[in-house]
Parts: sequence; structure tokens; C-alpha cells
Amino acid sequence: MKFHWFHLMPYRWLPDDFRERYHSVWVDLPNRLYDPVRGHQLYNEYLDMLEYADQLGFDSVGVNEHHQNAYGMMPSPNIMAAALARRTTRAAIMVLGNSIALYDPPIRVAEEFAMLDVISGGRLIAGFPVGTSMDTNYCYGANPATLREKYREANDLILKAWREREPFAWNGRFTKLRYVNVWPQPVQQPRPPIWVPGLGSIETWDWCIDHDYNYSYLSFSGYKRAQKMMDGYWEQRAKRKVDDNPYSAAFFQQVCISDTDASCEQEWWPHVDYFFNKCLHLYPGMAEAPGYRSEASLRAGVVAQIGNTSGNMGMNKTWKELVDQRYIVAGSPATVRQQLGELATSLRVGHLALGLHIGSAPIELANRSTYLFATHVMPQLRGLAAGHEDRWYPTMLPESGRAQAGMQSDAVRARVERPVHGAAA
Amino acid sequence: MSDPTPTARLLDLGPGRPAIEVLEAGQGAPLLFLHGASGIPEWTGALPLLARRFRVHAPLLPGFGRSTGLELLDEQLDLFFHGFDVLEALGLDRPYVVGESMGGWMAAEMAALRPKEIGRLALAAPIGLWRDEAPVADLFGRVTAEIVPLLFHDQSCQAARNMLAVSSLMSEKDDRTDEQVELLIAIARGLRTAAKFLFPIPERGLERRLRRITAPTLIVWGANDGLVPPLYAKLFAERIPGARLEILDRVGHLIGLERPEPYAELLIRFGQGAS
Repeated sequence: MKFHWFHLMPYRWLPDDFRERYHSVWVDLPNRLYDPVRGHQLYNEYLDMLEYADQLGFDSVGVNEHHQNAYGMMPSPNIMAAALARRTTRAAIMVLGNSIALYDPPIRVAEEFAMLDVISGGRLIAGFPVGTSMDTNYCYGANPATLREKYREANDLILKAWREREPFAWNGRFTKLRYVNVWPQPVQQPRPPIWVPGLGSIETWDWCIDHDYNYSYLSFSGYKRAQKMMDGYWEQRAKRKVDDNPYSAAFFQQVCISDTDASCEQEWWPHVDYFFNKCLHLYPGMAEAPGYRSEASLRAGVVAQIGNTSGNMGMNKTWKELVDQRYIVAGSPATVRQQLGELATSLRVGHLALGLHIGSAPIELANRSTYLFATHVMPQLRGLAAGHEDRWYPTMLPESGRAQAGMQSDAVRARVERPVHGAAA
Repeated sequence: MSDPTPTARLLDLGPGRPAIEVLEAGQGAPLLFLHGASGIPEWTGALPLLARRFRVHAPLLPGFGRSTGLELLDEQLDLFFHGFDVLEALGLDRPYVVGESMGGWMAAEMAALRPKEIGRLALAAPIGLWRDEAPVADLFGRVTAEIVPLLFHDQSCQAARNMLAVSSLMSEKDDRTDEQVELLIAIARGLRTAAKFLFPIPERGLERRLRRITAPTLIVWGANDGLVPPLYAKLFAERIPGARLEILDRVGHLIGLERPEPYAELLIRFGQGAS
């Protein structure tokens, strides 16, 4: 089993009456609510959390892309990943990911991901999400009726840009380039592992199977409610006669740990409440632009989202309800161990992406949770999914062959800073 | 007088072309009716009134009703030529074209593209133009309950109540019948077609082309249109040579559903050659 420390980077300072005064946390939430000076502290705290996770032995540190919102403040996750590439040494860097249909031309993704892979010495996990409808359609104006075709074309172009060793022409429907010739190329050959975060589109299963991508089911409603989607994924793999390797799938679960179940509630409830009732405060009219999802996906039990997203997302629930219904896995290390063991067994996933920072949690609280997880949960669950080859994790350069940040030695520095000789000084 | 009921038939435009459902009713000179983004779920409002004087042909765009083949129309030019394909397949020669809202945009574009092939033109609250100071409301980013007040002056009218009833199906609860699910999917499918050509801002350069229209043109607008503000009525009337403008009071965007009688009367008189 592999453990990924995944950050959403929410804005922590939404006002108390936020829900009454604003109809959504996303798309048209006025940016006058954003304070850049507080934002400066937040970004740095959040990067500190990810760097700490690297030091404690998490298998990756994760970031993602969202636009125009207070829920996740990374319009450009690659900037965060670049900062992490220099300040982490062991963990993979999971960018989950770049909404490839939004980059024009999409070879921008091939270039930036290659840069990240080269800087980090082959530690990149490359995420290719379609992106939420709010991000892609409402914020970035992508046409919902053609978004998925554009996504598929961008995917094909990026793969080819990483594969070909000579310049080639690309005459696509959405992108026309006379000369495609991406410099640099990734360290990981033929390409970094690609993960595809899925929300509610069943076509994503086949897409991942066709390309041997990792299917990462992202949900805030917890592992019990994810059973149907994950069962569907495993059934589809069986139907397509491909292996049932648990590492072909990842699941995102929010987790908080404290010394005891009782202290967990006391410490975490305000921040969990902030997340479910502010960060997920979404306007149903912009849940999904017409055409964003296929008719098949609309019919497949996800019809509720035609007009509404908030129904099952955990708003207006008590701590006890969120914990009992496993929206969050919360409590003492023993409680968390037991429930995550159950998650791993029932969903059969080999990759567990953990939301160990939630809502408005300050750094000390998040780091305490991270520490307890790394010392009291991770070691005991490591052996799950053993015996399967993980071909969805980076093939890094050997540590001995990897550059270290700030490698310049004192001796070199002394030579560089030697006094100027001659009259010109 | 009992109104003729429409017949529905599938029109095959040939290999590699969309297959189109056409609703037809009435006798008389041909009238090509181009619907708006909500399609023609029912033969009500102004349509039966128009069919008392004209032979009304109402083709449904791919994605609406039983019409298929949206994937064969890539860009707006494909859509406009599709309009002419339909016109030819129906055997119409320089017909009277009536377009509402999105259909008004399409009718105006067709009349600008091939002016000699449109006999007369009536545009009811067409979209297609844009002014920053009076943005056309976002049809694709609102819940129905918030769109209805933009579409109707009198929200207690039957058409408004019907629309709100449908929107109540989009609740958090998952207790819909299969039929209701199919209804919601049909609405989403139609809006997908509209979005393909008009998302996120319904403006694609029509203003530059309006001067090419030579057909006698009538512009009709609801004084209380909340979706496309009446400012655009003047703009259309100014840009289309010789166009006549009629503004109806006490009516919103869906004129044909909210005040069918005075609206149909205007369309009929204009269609019969009154200037």
C-alpha cells in the first residue's frame, strides 16, 4: 500500500456568515474576500506541510488545479510542484493534475511536466484530469459539448510529444501545430505514470483501462459511498479481461487523527465544519454545464447531479454523522487504522490519497495528524496490497544519481567569492 | 375553430448528415419555424395559431426531440448550412422564416449568409449580439427557478408554472420515475446543442453580418424580457436594413408562450405581406 499526502490548499479565512451572503465558494465568489498577505502565510504553511510529509516518509506529496475559488487555491499546480521539487527529496510529486484541455496548445503540459520530472529526478506523477465543470466550463470558458473530445485530443498530442524523437506536425481538430518538438523530455521513459482523477463519469474507467492509467476516484463523501463506483471500476476491468492490480486505482479519503477519539472531535470539528459547510458550498446552477457529462453517465445513477451537487456531499451534518457515515475517517490512531484497513479491503485500492489537512486547520494541528499517521498508521497498513507490481508509481533516478538542492560546496563558493585581482577592482 | 394537430416525421438528409424530426401543421404559404433553446416540447402557444394561416414546418435541431447527429456539426457554419439542407429537403423556396431566441439567431445568420434564399424574416427576441453594459443572462449557469423570472413577465402563467414543475424534478432526492429521468436528460441534451454553438457567450460575430440581410424583416420583443434586454431590439432593428420593430408590453422572453395571440397576429400580418 502506498500513501499520498494530498493538499487542496483552501482559503482559511472565509467569514462566518459566508453561506448566507454568497451563493458559492466557486466561480463567481468575489475575490475581494481574498487577502494576499494572509495568502502569503497560507501558501508557505501549506508547502511546509507537504515538505514535512516528505520527511516523514509519505510516498508522494500531491497538489491539484482549480480556478476562481476559495476551496483550492492552486490555479497553477505546477508552480507548487516546482517549489516542492527543490525542497523535497524522497517523495514522488503528484500533480493531480493539469486539466489538459485547458492548455492551449496542450504541449504546454508536455513541457511543464517534463520540466518537473527533470528537476525532481523522475519523481513526477502526471495527472490528466478533465477538470470540474466549474473550472473548465464556467471559469475557463471551455465548451462543455466538446470538452471531452478536446481532452482526448490533448492526451494524444502530449503522449506523442513525449514519444517522438523527431519534430512532427499535428493537424488536430482543436490544435494545429506545424512543428511539435518538445524540449525538455521527461527523465521517466517512455513517460511518467499518468493518473486520471474521476468524479462521476463511467467512461473514465474504460479510458484508464485503454491507456493503462491509474484511476483515482476523488470523493468527499467517504469510502462507504464510493463502493458502487469502485465496484463498477473493478467489474469493468474484469469484463475487459485486464488484471485486478490494486495499484491501478487510488482513492482519496479525508483523515484526522488525535490522541483519542474524543480529543479528535474537539480539535478537528471547527475545521471539518469549515470544509463541509463552507468549502463545499456550491451553487447547483453551475454544478454542470449542459453536455459536460455524457448521457450514459447521467443515467448511471448519478442523475441527482443534473440539477444538484450538494445532496450527498456532507453539508449540514454533525461530527458524529460525518464520522459514523465515514465521510471522514477520524479518531485515535487505532480507530483510523481499523477504518482505513476496512477501506483498503472493501475498495481494493493500492494507493491511498490522504486529505490530512482539512478546511481551516492550522499547521500545528495538521502536522500532528501527519505525524501520528506516519508513526502509528502507515507502518501497520504498509503490507496491504503486497505481492502486486506497482507500475503506476514513478521510476526515479537512483538517489545517488539525483542532484541535491544547494549542492554548491563551501570550497566552490570560496573560490567563486575570491577577491578581485588587478587594478580594475 | 379546432386547431390542426401537427404531424411528426423524420427527415433523412442523406449519409453523413443529421436525421431530423420535423413537426408540421396547417395549410397555406410555407412558414419555417426555428425553435429556441428549450425546443418544442408541446405544440402550444403561438404555433397552433400560426398553423391556421400557414403551412408551418418546425424542424428540431439535433439533440432536440428525435433529431440526432449533433456530432456531425462541428462549427457554426456547419449549423447554418444544416439549416439550408433542411430547407432544401423540405422543398421550401424562399420561405417565411420565423426564429425565436436561439432560433432567431440562426435565422438571422442564415439570412445574412444567403440573403436571396429567405423570403421574409421574423425574429422574436433573437440572441447573437452583445453589449458589455447589458449582458445577455447566462442561460447555461442558472437553476431553472432563477431562469423562469427572466423568461416570463407573469410567472403565474401556465407556461411558467409548467417550467417550474419540471425544475422541481431536479431535487436532491433520488425518487424520480424513469419517465422523469428521461425528461430531464432530454432537456440536458437539447441544452447541450445550444451550448455547443453558444457557450459561454452567445455572440459569434453576427453584428458584422446583419447588414447583408435583404429579406423584409420584423423584430418582435417583449418589453419585460429579462434574458435578452430590449436594448438588443433596437440594435437588431438598426443593423438590419429596413427592419420593423414591434415591442409587446407585459411579456418576457418567451413571447409565443406568454402572449400568443397578439404575437401570432403580428407574425401573421407581417407574413402575409403587410409592411
